[in-house]
Amino acid sequence: MDYFAGVDIGSTMTKVVIMSDRIEVSLIGPTGPEHRKLANRVMEEALNKARLTFEDLTYIVATGYGRINVPFADRQITEITCHAKGLHSLLPSVKTVVDIGGQDSKGIKIVNGKVMNFVMNDKCAAGTGRFLEIIADSLGVPLEKIGEISLTAQKIAAVSSTCTVFAEQEIISRLASGEPIANLLAGIHDAVATRVYSLVKKLNVEADIAVTGGGAKNIGLVKALESKFGQALLVPPEPLITGALGAALMGKDIFAKYMAEGQKPTRSVNKLEEATFFE
Amino acid sequence: MAEEKKGRAVATSTAAKIPKFVRGNLSATLKAKEEGKKVAAAFIADGQDEIMRAMDIVPAWGESFSGVCAAKRDAEKYLQKAESDNFSRSLCTYATCNIGFDMMREELGGATPEGAPWGGMGRPDMMLGNGQLLCDPRFKWPQATQHYQQDVPVFVTNMYYPPWDPNADHHEQEAIYVKYAADELRETVKFCEKITGKKMDWDRLAATVELSDKTWDLFIDTYELRKHIPTPMDTGDAMNTMVPLTFNLGTQEAYDFYVDLNAELRQKIADGVGVANPEKYRIIWAAGLPSWFALGDFQYFNGKGVVFPVEVTYRGCEKIERLDLPKTNDPLEHIAWRWVRYWTHWYDAAKKRPGSTPKVERIIEYIEDYKCDGAVFHSAFSCRSWHAGIMQQAATLKKVYKDIPILIMEGDIVDISSYNEADTHNRIDAFIETLAASKKRQG
Repeated sequence: MDYFAGVDIGSTMTKVVIMSDRIEVSLIGPTGPEHRKLANRVMEEALNKARLTFEDLTYIVATGYGRINVPFADRQITEITCHAKGLHSLLPSVKTVVDIGGQDSKGIKIVNGKVMNFVMNDKCAAGTGRFLEIIADSLGVPLEKIGEISLTAQKIAAVSSTCTVFAEQEIISRLASGEPIANLLAGIHDAVATRVYSLVKKLNVEADIAVTGGGAKNIGLVKALESKFGQALLVPPEPLITGALGAALMGKDIFAKYMAEGQKPTRSVNKLEEATFFE
Repeated sequence: MAEEKKGRAVATSTAAKIPKFVRGNLSATLKAKEEGKKVAAAFIADGQDEIMRAMDIVPAWGESFSGVCAAKRDAEKYLQKAESDNFSRSLCTYATCNIGFDMMREELGGATPEGAPWGGMGRPDMMLGNGQLLCDPRFKWPQATQHYQQDVPVFVTNMYYPPWDPNADHHEQEAIYVKYAADELRETVKFCEKITGKKMDWDRLAATVELSDKTWDLFIDTYELRKHIPTPMDTGDAMNTMVPLTFNLGTQEAYDFYVDLNAELRQKIADGVGVANPEKYRIIWAAGLPSWFALGDFQYFNGKGVVFPVEVTYRGCEKIERLDLPKTNDPLEHIAWRWVRYWTHWYDAAKKRPGSTPKVERIIEYIEDYKCDGAVFHSAFSCRSWHAGIMQQAATLKKVYKDIPILIMEGDIVDISSYNEADTHNRIDAFIETLAASKKRQG
């Protein structure tokens, strides 16, 4: 049996998928400042869970912001391509992907599982998961609760600032003047959705539209985005693993292509060990 | 303190001569006084080059100096200086970098501020602004900097061309615009005569204009050699090799530079030497000024087999015969016709393709001629005038031509705070994967 692994090192979370003809195991763990170089540990955990050894893996593809820090990967492919591939395997009708990660947000246009076009916001925290994290922290509300709370709002409190730092100040001062937390959270979700929508609409947006990334786990944000796009959005069962899944599928495709040509793919010579930044 | 950054290695040895040109232009402004010459703060592609050259006026190119500061990653001190007088970062950073430098120089009584990149630039005796459709800083910048150099007279030449209107016959309008531009240039000559105390030598001006025409022709002949596969030179070099055309037009040195470049490119073609080996994808630099502090990104593309055989930016000329200029013995009228037709000669082609525009038509022409697989647009946030409409251009290109892969890069010309190398390279990687997928789809 051939096993393929996809490792997606995002700014906040590290995701691993190991698959054969089906997904054998998927694992999500925090990236964190010290963890990016420890991709090997997440992989070890995934292998243990799948009852496999590193040598059992036929091909490994790394993706995501920290893909370069996965020395044991055989190939690095950007998260744009991997998200498209992974999502297409889960939701083949999707033509537009909205991915809201911890550090950036992006829109991807897909044709037959391949990337046709993409846009990215990597300049500003507003419009990303980091923005929501900071606001949740300021309000003292657990991040996983803010979406649900926002849906109980009586009205959407307008948050005028598009800068994360100033928005945080604005939220605190509005809270002090008596604005309910739910209304403020609705305003924050609306602000993020507005930014993401204005980014993604640069693509020729076509239905179906799916949301992935950590942002897709926030029901308040998904609802706010649906209001902007004017239609229901699809969310895959586990929206965090689409990149890692796509990476594993890309590995499978690469391997199959080599085999069809009667060749063996070049493998990484690196072992499953901690990456170092000092070489 | 400037951040030390290894410069981009150019692919052609001729392009390696460019720093000498740029340094020469800067030092000419510093030496002008002892040589009894007048210095004019001037702007590129404004039709005033030959007037200055024929009158021995030394141009002080603010855009060039700001570009040098950016390339040396040493612009921040000037941007901050301008910002201290409330010049916003969202204004043209060519202007604010230069204004910050001017402010410092004035505080030193006209002496060059210490540590100015490549020796800095001399104080001007006049400022030649330009009111036209290209960008508004060309008349607002001289006004702003005049607050600090109140004794330096400003003259704004207004050079316009018929605006694009698919329903209007621009051929009927051209003569009106040419007459207006020629009259403006005549006023520019009068102003320069007043400041220099010298009369224009009209025969010398005519000879200078003729030399410029020859340079335009040679530039295009040379650049069209890049159609060859593999291309012998890409945009990374062209952002250097544009210097003689852009800043030294009307000089023998500029013409001679392109003679050398032409010979080198022919030799590379004969030897089968390309910028990238293997050359996997050919891309057009479809719009936008580059981030001068990040020219190394072209090498990043090249390292992955991606080349730019053509760019719209700084291709500020055309083969003279393609412009079909009316004959005239008046060199200023000739400059005016050349200026107007340079812009309008894409109008007819654009009219033939419903929904197209001249800018998009130009991109399509280059994509076809240079066999490009995709397009990169660079949106420099502070260059509002030139970069407004880039998204519409990209959308129109996809709509009226075909759905080719497009990368919109975001940054600035001078302000490095807009730039993140890791994210930029990530975008480039994703774009290259999109190119691969697109090419695979096409079989």
